[in-house]
Amino acid sequence: MFRVRDTAGFRALLAAMTLALVAVACGGADATNDGSGGSGGAALTGKIVASGSSTVEPITSLAAELFAEENPDVSLSVDGPGTGDGFELFCQGKTDISDASRAIEPEEQQACKDGGIEYIELKVAIDGLSVLTSKNNNEISCLDFKDLYALIGPESEGFNSWSDANSLAEEIGAAHAPYPDVPLEITAPGEESGTYDSFGELVLEDIAYEDRKIEEDAPVIRADYTASADDNVIIQGLSGDETSLGWVGYAFYQENTDKVRAIPIAEEGDNCIEPTNETIAAGEYPISRDLYFYVNSKKAESNDSLQAFVDFYLAELQTLVQETGYVEAPEDVISETTQVWEDRETGTRDG
Amino acid sequence: MATRAESPSVTEVVRQSLSKRRFDFRSAAFEASLLLMLLASLAILVILLTDVVRSGAGVLTERGGDFIQGSLSSLAERAGVWQGIVGSFLMMAFVVLVAFPVGIGAAVYLEEYAPDNRIARLIDVNVRNLAGVPSVVYGLLGLFLFVEVLEPLTGGRSIISGGLTLSLLVLPLVIITSAEALRAVPDSIREAGYGVGATRWEVVRSHVLPSAAQGILTGTILSLSRALGETAPLLLVGAVTGFLSTGSQTLAEQLQGEYVSLPTIIYAWAKEPDTDFRALTFAAIIVLLAVILLANLAAIILRNRYERKW
Repeated sequence: MFRVRDTAGFRALLAAMTLALVAVACGGADATNDGSGGSGGAALTGKIVASGSSTVEPITSLAAELFAEENPDVSLSVDGPGTGDGFELFCQGKTDISDASRAIEPEEQQACKDGGIEYIELKVAIDGLSVLTSKNNNEISCLDFKDLYALIGPESEGFNSWSDANSLAEEIGAAHAPYPDVPLEITAPGEESGTYDSFGELVLEDIAYEDRKIEEDAPVIRADYTASADDNVIIQGLSGDETSLGWVGYAFYQENTDKVRAIPIAEEGDNCIEPTNETIAAGEYPISRDLYFYVNSKKAESNDSLQAFVDFYLAELQTLVQETGYVEAPEDVISETTQVWEDRETGTRDG
Repeated sequence: MATRAESPSVTEVVRQSLSKRRFDFRSAAFEASLLLMLLASLAILVILLTDVVRSGAGVLTERGGDFIQGSLSSLAERAGVWQGIVGSFLMMAFVVLVAFPVGIGAAVYLEEYAPDNRIARLIDVNVRNLAGVPSVVYGLLGLFLFVEVLEPLTGGRSIISGGLTLSLLVLPLVIITSAEALRAVPDSIREAGYGVGATRWEVVRSHVLPSAAQGILTGTILSLSRALGETAPLLLVGAVTGFLSTGSQTLAEQLQGEYVSLPTIIYAWAKEPDTDFRALTFAAIIVLLAVILLANLAAIILRNRYERKW
């Protein structure tokens, strides 16, 4: 019934399958090395690992990509799990570069100190958080921080219509109340996102903790809204509802101007400013944040390729930032960044 | 009835006499509702596939080989999936080398050697439960075991960690499908073997395993497809989403380094701000589907080759 041939065949097949898989895999791995030959004698080698903010990831990725073209023997990887996760790896010495959409926080500074990690803080670009509504919403043309507090702050929980916020807005002196009696559908980043943190810090924290005496460390953003970690989902939610409200990073707004409209924002009063490259770069747009990357300074000393990469990154900054849809930091900030790098100045200025 | 031109079939006659009606509405309604359910599930599949193909085919026809061979990039016009294909295949190699021998071995022991007692049954139930554990849980296990504890061996967040995590993930599936294939081998074959004086090892090696080969192969390759499509555990054990260049690293160094896989590429591109990446995401889905389809095709071909004869 069973011939020996069958067992032998079975074994041979299994072996062949395994071999084929390994061969394909190895062949592939070799192929990725293509083009590595032929560079000059003093070609850079070594390994650079970057992680951190998903907002900064596109800039660093592009830098790595262009750098790899010139230095094919250097191995590079760029990831973007988030600013907080990035610092955790960075302070354990597992990464060389940590992208960040905010300055390093005191606890993270402590973690790095405990891990014996010294770092150089480099400010690379500016991101403007855009407050968005649907393209078809013609009711709202200007909001100030107090308006945003009345609509999105912790005391606005349960408001299902813009007009529900009227009495709160009046109480805190928001400039643009009363609001129309239309449904208020909020779609925005969730708590895990750096964009959520930035929005709370930049817009709502002062009003919540100082004017409204909300308990310190309590959340400053209402909990009852549609949250998503995926900015494209947020854009879809905002465009799907006529009187929606939400916020995303400037790059996502720019790619979707056909679907959503940015509401001009004033810090206080009627001096509303639309987010554009110019207003963000000039610091006129009130909700903007700095983007950074942090370099492990000891690794930079011992790793020539890491030094060369940071040199390249800063030299090409303008191109990188423009290509990826972010806003260049003003010239004095860039020259300050370059200076910090040249002096290898460790520690944080902004954190 | 006799007046009708063609005589009704036997089934028809039996059905009519049983239901005492000329036309059995209830069974017709039941049949129609079953058909409706089948069509509904097919329709969902068809809608999904057309949507994916319609959105992604453009990239494949326009850029074709360039897209397949391209690397991760933050520029949509240059980005490609090759590193994902390589990463996925390298991890599949780990699954083949780790999960298959261990899983099949465990199944042979459970079915052929272990006494049929409470402990064996307890193990069996637990393996079945493990197969239902969400994949992200295996990701956490991999993060702890391979990335943290075994870092000197695996290189931390690396292809090795990813491959081993996927191996753990499909191990219960391999055990279950192999055990089922072994159980399906009739006892008469084993008894015949013992009858001519073969040892247990000889019976298992030259009779039971070849007879079960078809089922085992189908099961293992289906678990390979499952592993190919997993995203969540890999995001936990270090798949990168931004950029990867292996430089002058040797294969061994690459295995201990960062990696990308097809599903994590899809995940990363779906989150890109640049709308051009939308089409790339769908194109990458087509590539992943093609790879999985190929794996399943291999399963069918192998199964036909080892057709059971008893």
